[in-house]
Amino acid sequence: MSYSRRSFLDAFAAASGTAVAVPGAVALFDAAMSRAIAQQAPTGPVPPLQFLSPNWPDYVEISRLLVASWSKLGITVEARQGTTQSVLGEVIGEHKMPHVVGVSWGGAPDRIDPDYFLTEFFHTRRATKGGLNYGHYRNAAFDEIADAQRREMDPEKRRALVWKAQEMLATDNPIIVFTYRNSTQAYNKARFAGVVPTLGSGIGMSYIPWTYYKMRPLTSRRIVRIANFTEIVTLNPFATPEIFNATLLRWMYPTFVTRGPNGEIEPWAAEKWNALDGQTVDMTLRAGMVFDDGRPVTVEDVKFTFDYMLQWKFPALARVNDVLDSVEILSPREVRFRLKQPSASFVPNVLGFCFVAPRHIWQNVPGSSGVASPADWPNENPVGYGGFRFREWRKGEFVRLETNKNFFLAPQIDGAIWLVVPNIENQLAMMESGAADILGWTIDGEQAKRLNRHPELEAVSVPSHGMHEARFNMELAPVSDPAFRLAIQHATDRKEIIDVVFSGLGIDALNSVITPANKFWANPNVPNVEFSIDKARKVLADAGYTWDGGGRLQYPRR
Amino acid sequence: MSAEAGRGAHRLAARLAQSLLTIWVLVTLIWLMFRLLPGDPTTALLGTGQLPPDAIQRLRKAWALDDPWLVQYLRYLANLVVGDLGLSFVFREPVMKIIAPALVNTLLLMVPAVTISVMLGVVLGARLGWRRGALSEVAGNIIVLVLRSLPAFWIGIIVLVIFSYTLGWFPIGGIRTPAFFPETWIEEIPGYDVARHLVLPVLAAVLYFVADPLMIMRTAMLEARTEDFVAYAQARGLSDGDVMRIARANAMLPVVTYVGIMVSFAFGGQVLLEVVFSWPGMGRLMVNSVLQRDYPVAQAAFLLMAVLVVGVNLAVDLAYARLDPRIRDD
Repeated sequence: MSYSRRSFLDAFAAASGTAVAVPGAVALFDAAMSRAIAQQAPTGPVPPLQFLSPNWPDYVEISRLLVASWSKLGITVEARQGTTQSVLGEVIGEHKMPHVVGVSWGGAPDRIDPDYFLTEFFHTRRATKGGLNYGHYRNAAFDEIADAQRREMDPEKRRALVWKAQEMLATDNPIIVFTYRNSTQAYNKARFAGVVPTLGSGIGMSYIPWTYYKMRPLTSRRIVRIANFTEIVTLNPFATPEIFNATLLRWMYPTFVTRGPNGEIEPWAAEKWNALDGQTVDMTLRAGMVFDDGRPVTVEDVKFTFDYMLQWKFPALARVNDVLDSVEILSPREVRFRLKQPSASFVPNVLGFCFVAPRHIWQNVPGSSGVASPADWPNENPVGYGGFRFREWRKGEFVRLETNKNFFLAPQIDGAIWLVVPNIENQLAMMESGAADILGWTIDGEQAKRLNRHPELEAVSVPSHGMHEARFNMELAPVSDPAFRLAIQHATDRKEIIDVVFSGLGIDALNSVITPANKFWANPNVPNVEFSIDKARKVLADAGYTWDGGGRLQYPRR
Repeated sequence: MSAEAGRGAHRLAARLAQSLLTIWVLVTLIWLMFRLLPGDPTTALLGTGQLPPDAIQRLRKAWALDDPWLVQYLRYLANLVVGDLGLSFVFREPVMKIIAPALVNTLLLMVPAVTISVMLGVVLGARLGWRRGALSEVAGNIIVLVLRSLPAFWIGIIVLVIFSYTLGWFPIGGIRTPAFFPETWIEEIPGYDVARHLVLPVLAAVLYFVADPLMIMRTAMLEARTEDFVAYAQARGLSDGDVMRIARANAMLPVVTYVGIMVSFAFGGQVLLEVVFSWPGMGRLMVNSVLQRDYPVAQAAFLLMAVLVVGVNLAVDLAYARLDPRIRDD
């Protein structure tokens, strides 16, 4: 979930008093759930379907459309919203699920690898409190395929497994993917040229900052101002799992590999790598990299950093401890990673997330600083080695970076200022007045149209692998019935959702968690479920459901 | 004389003890309130999708969230007594380092806003009350009631639309220009940049705040008008302005009481104004810390508010005793 913007929306909701209604909404769900669970062998009328989502504006809209559409099956749909935190706490934290829960997931780079959505959303292992398989999809055959694709190092063979997994999901329908919503930002084209549309990041988000490495200043304004929602909370790269904060820190501490504009894996702080077998990966560090304090970046620093992660088990870097066994130095530029088990996502998601920390600084942390873990160390003056150097941070206001002209891909701008602007109207007005040059978060179609009316501004909409989805509670009637879930899929008008809620700025989902824009991994043979109320009713009728005289849907007679 | 001084000291000590007790009760209630909210500081991290369940468990253990409530509460109290407010779960820094800058920013905005509002409120309210029935009073009442019924954020947006979006006289938001390089002599005046950023939020806050002291002053003035001492002053042949000033001095007590309440509201920050003006103050910090279940920051912020309210009430009580000698004997 990309919740930084949400916390702003929450702030508004909390301040305007809407949040007060939430505990009540959750209590109502509890009551509805216990009623539904009590119906172990359901008979009679199908109970009201409970749809929960956070109170984000897009989900409020989606809920309205779903209620209208699903009701045509002869059921009552009760849509409710909670604050982000209450939904997170109940649904992910406690796995307290009503029938259907809708949320959205941003296009973070590590979600391009198919392992993320397949394993985190659907593996039985993640069907525990805190895990993202809160719908409790449990399918041993699927688990086997998901584990196999994770071990398979040959891309073609792995793709066959990933396609198979997508087919299984399309058969079982544990999820409705409404759309892969585009990432849409505007920039000032009179001042800067050469923005780079990038999968998941659009032209302006921090995830994969190709734009900021490649953009050219056209005027004397050589420092780009980015209007953003996210409050930066730490400068410590070991500390934060929050993806905006983490990725901004990666501008200063580059990862070993990165993703190209279309999602392909590319070298970054590493020059090359070689997976000898699934459990051994050799990597060559890029030559000539220098820390901001003038010392060279060495393989000793690399080994130190990974040993440090293994030693301290930073929660934000849990993926390292899950898979990495040890690191050894092979030569002045080469290291060898030994993994606990074969991992196809090691290169994109571990080498694409980890970084080098200067040993001469971090070996003395926590030291006598009095903090319990290096994750608690403020790192007030980050010493990195990226294309951007830290200059200044004012909490709640901005982070200011200057470019490092010695970086192998030296940015052409002189710096970047990440402005915290918690109000979208102000962000738009700052673009219009020239106070900001580019947006760092996605805007909607109407806002894009408004900015496009200014000759110096241009909004660019780029496909993303992030998605808006709803998950079924696989243990709760009626959605525990595969036929019922299929009927709901048929009764969901994705086209309408994309057009009405997102002004058409989204990709109509295949019935899969992998967007067609993620070309290598998406299975083109998994078609979307056709929107047709007639077909939905037929699916239900074929499964034995009936309608009473008032048109209300009845469970199949036993 | 010394007996009276002794009684005064005794009364002060009793009031102080009462205030401390109030604060302890508040501390406990605030502490409990956050524990009763669903979720804990790790909840916000769930939505990142980056932490596997066992990493969450490790964090809960490391942050001592699994300890029994009583243990957590006593630890909190013990730390509080020695002035240790703890580490922010979100920022991983001492709470004071997070709150102090936000508080400074809020004071920067609210001290001028409250001062101007109260002064304007007293002066204009007295005039309105004094000129009962005049056209200026009717018009003034309408304007004030309209301001009173507008939400703060709406006033903020309107002020922005006029003076920033349309006229372009002032910045759209924020407290300073990042990487500000002065180009003219005016811009070189220290504080120029911050002052420019301050104008619109202060204006919006004044428009929002001014109505209450103004209406209270007006009502008190209406009552004072009919008092004997006013008739006496008029009988002495004083000018209308002088009589009004005498009445005003006597009508100010309710406003003093209200200022106490207003100060504690204002210094807690006005979250909607802060969002509208991208102002990094206490309001935004408090709302964010509550939403993210950042207990230490939220507790400290609420504690600060509580101390402020109690302290201001104490000060108001003492001021009352000065302004109105009758209260001293109660």
